Amino acid sequence: MAPTHSGGGSRFREASSLGRFPVRCDRPPERRKPGIARTTTDAGSTPRGEGERAVILNTIQSRVRTSPAYRAIADQVRYRRQDVSGTVPKIPALPYLYISPFFVLFAVFLLFPTVYTLYLSFFNYLGASNEVLLTVDFVVFQLTIPQIANLQFVGLDHYTRLLFQDSLFHQALFNTSFIFLVQVPLMVVLGLATALVLDAKFIRAKSVFRTLIALPVATGLVAYSTIFLLLFNGDVGVINYALETIGLGRVPWLSDAWWARITLVIAVTWRWLGYNMIILLAGLQTVPEQLYEAAEVDGASRWQKFRFVTLPQLRPVLLFVVVSSTIGTFQIFAEPYVITGGGPSNATITIVQYIYNQAFLQLNLGYASAVSVALVILVSIMSIIQIRYGGAE
Amino acid sequence: MATIDITKLRKEFGDEGEQIVAVEDLDLTIEDGEFMVFVGPSGCGKTTTLRCVAGLEDVSSGSIEFDGVDVTDQRARERNVAMVFQNYALYPHMTVRKNIGFPLRLSTKQSSDEIDERVEEIATLLGIESLLDDKPKELSGGQQQRVALGRAIIRDPEVFLMDEPLSNLDAKLRSVMRTELQELQQELDVTTAYVTHDQVEAMAMGDRIAILNEGRLQQVGDANEVYRSPTNEFVAGFIGSPSINLVTAEVDGDTLVGPGNFEYVLDDVSWVDGRSRVRVGVRPEDMHLVEDGAGSMPSEVTVVEHMGNENFLYARMGEVDLTARVPSKMRPPEGSRVRFDFDEEDLYLFDVDTQESVKTKTGETDVGYEQYVHNSV
Ligand SMILES: Nc1ncnc2c1ncn2[C@@H]1O[C@H](COP(=O)(O)OP(=O)(O)O)[C@@H](O)[C@H]1O
Ligand SMILES: [Mg+2]
Repeated sequence: MAPTHSGGGSRFREASSLGRFPVRCDRPPERRKPGIARTTTDAGSTPRGEGERAVILNTIQSRVRTSPAYRAIADQVRYRRQDVSGTVPKIPALPYLYISPFFVLFAVFLLFPTVYTLYLSFFNYLGASNEVLLTVDFVVFQLTIPQIANLQFVGLDHYTRLLFQDSLFHQALFNTSFIFLVQVPLMVVLGLATALVLDAKFIRAKSVFRTLIALPVATGLVAYSTIFLLLFNGDVGVINYALETIGLGRVPWLSDAWWARITLVIAVTWRWLGYNMIILLAGLQTVPEQLYEAAEVDGASRWQKFRFVTLPQLRPVLLFVVVSSTIGTFQIFAEPYVITGGGPSNATITIVQYIYNQAFLQLNLGYASAVSVALVILVSIMSIIQIRYGGAE
Repeated sequence: MATIDITKLRKEFGDEGEQIVAVEDLDLTIEDGEFMVFVGPSGCGKTTTLRCVAGLEDVSSGSIEFDGVDVTDQRARERNVAMVFQNYALYPHMTVRKNIGFPLRLSTKQSSDEIDERVEEIATLLGIESLLDDKPKELSGGQQQRVALGRAIIRDPEVFLMDEPLSNLDAKLRSVMRTELQELQQELDVTTAYVTHDQVEAMAMGDRIAILNEGRLQQVGDANEVYRSPTNEFVAGFIGSPSINLVTAEVDGDTLVGPGNFEYVLDDVSWVDGRSRVRVGVRPEDMHLVEDGAGSMPSEVTVVEHMGNENFLYARMGEVDLTARVPSKMRPPEGSRVRFDFDEEDLYLFDVDTQESVKTKTGETDVGYEQYVHNSV
């Protein structure tokens, strides 16, 4: 058992697996097909004519391929191709050119608006302006940058206003927080439940269910919101009709403050459940089957397998779902705008809807920017807390 | 501890139409405290058999009993078995401490303090006490292996199952772990079923060896038995490294005549009574290099491999490749013509059609076997 002898057997196997002795008579293991496959399907069921044609085509092809002329030409093509790749000039900055479209788009459509929003939040917007902001002298020509807006500096006034004076903003903040508090746990539980059901072995027609649940994600925001508006209408809506038919009373879906918020939660959940379910399902499917088997052998019950294997393995995916749902709920706009119109009496107005009202209905661009900045800070803090707390270990 | 009785075990995969029979009519008893090794080529049904014993796979028919109790319909978690998986299957999100303690933590039988104490005990036994707070991904293959072992033994299982537990380790570590595993098994005295595709490992570790091929059990026996008395040509070919040399020969009176002027005169003709052809097997270690003109196997040396303590000679006799293990001093040049001879007591004969053994080793003492174990382990 001295370890020094351990090379004896394997050395030989190495040699033979290199194919040095192709016709060894003494290695039956490799010659045999694994398992005993019993196939009842008939392999040779192609019609005769087709089979012959394939054989002829194959023969012609292999003749051509092995002919000296073909080989000479093919080699020439190959050499040329390799020559060409050698002659392409090396431009040092080329990689940067290749990735520049992203940065250009990023700068124009993301970086600039973001920075400009922050800038605007310290000003009052007084209207558009044609005046020149600054002129850069390039000797050959002059670049004139126009002043986009006519602004009046107000310092932190907007921030003190939204923090201490603006009760409508506080209302919007409350509404949004309520939707967030109900919607995110609901989304996680429902998403996980549907994903688990669709991951179960005994479910048939999985792809049908998967598609059905994921379908709402693909519907247009306004289109689905409009349909919800019709479904949940207190007087003529199908939902209330159905509730009444089965003997339950009518629900003031849109006219009561709390029910209106619930209606929004239902709408958002309906629309985004599929998205979260697909992500969770993908997460579930990456959990190695062997961990469940190990847990089974170790004596784990179904619940214990879920608790000790599934949940910890799913942790990063769950975190993603929570964070993206959080960001999503804090940004909801189309649903309250279309379904409830922010009502009744501002009971469902959301932060983004309030920003929209301020910016585009009342043209308070400066104040709207300040609210936007506040929203960004709020969502960032929430996400950081969630990631800190959920991503630990 | 338990005796495992496997009766007529059969396992099929796939639906109607295209079925794969992974295990077919397997009958086997693993004695209490025995170390049984399942060995066979890839795809022969070793893993499937083990998983059926574990309860991870439903059997198609047949039964499995632990100590006379039918467990065929019990789930894995009801069977009190422990399993070491080929890639260890450690829980990646748990520390080594949690991994090892996991089976105990699932029941309310022991308090956390008792569990921790037991974990430390096991960790000390396996020499991984310093790693208890690491995660599996921070460990080397050998350390992960030990954690997997720890998780398996902490519950004092009735049955220990291991599926190629050493195959992910490098050669050196493998031989170290091999010894450790054996010692551990002897110490715990747990009935063990161990799967490997490596016959050297099987020979070295098993109390008994079960050789499978194409889902069927070929032979069960200790290392000496399967090496000296294989039941058929497959077993003879699978056990032993390098593999046995096999030649198809015509029977001409008392002489076996084969390809490339192979001629061997039998002392005892009764072995080939009523046969016109027979498969002849000679192990490489039984081949003697002899003076030109004398031996029964005239051949041409193709390659000489110097192993240090001995040489492997690869030679061609007619259409057939031969392998011989000769003392390190014997180094015929490549391309030279040589002759091999062997003793009749070392000769194996197999039926040409059924491949069943007709004659196996008959000598009383067996120097070849001792030498084999010494060299290959
Ligand atoms: N889950 C499965 N589904 C279908 N066929 C399988 C499955 N598991 C194993 N098999 C087949 O059963 C045969 C035996 O497999 P296995 O027991 O894994 O072999 P081994 O462990 O000896 O290499 C193989 O032909 C394999 O393809
Ligand atoms: Mg296997």
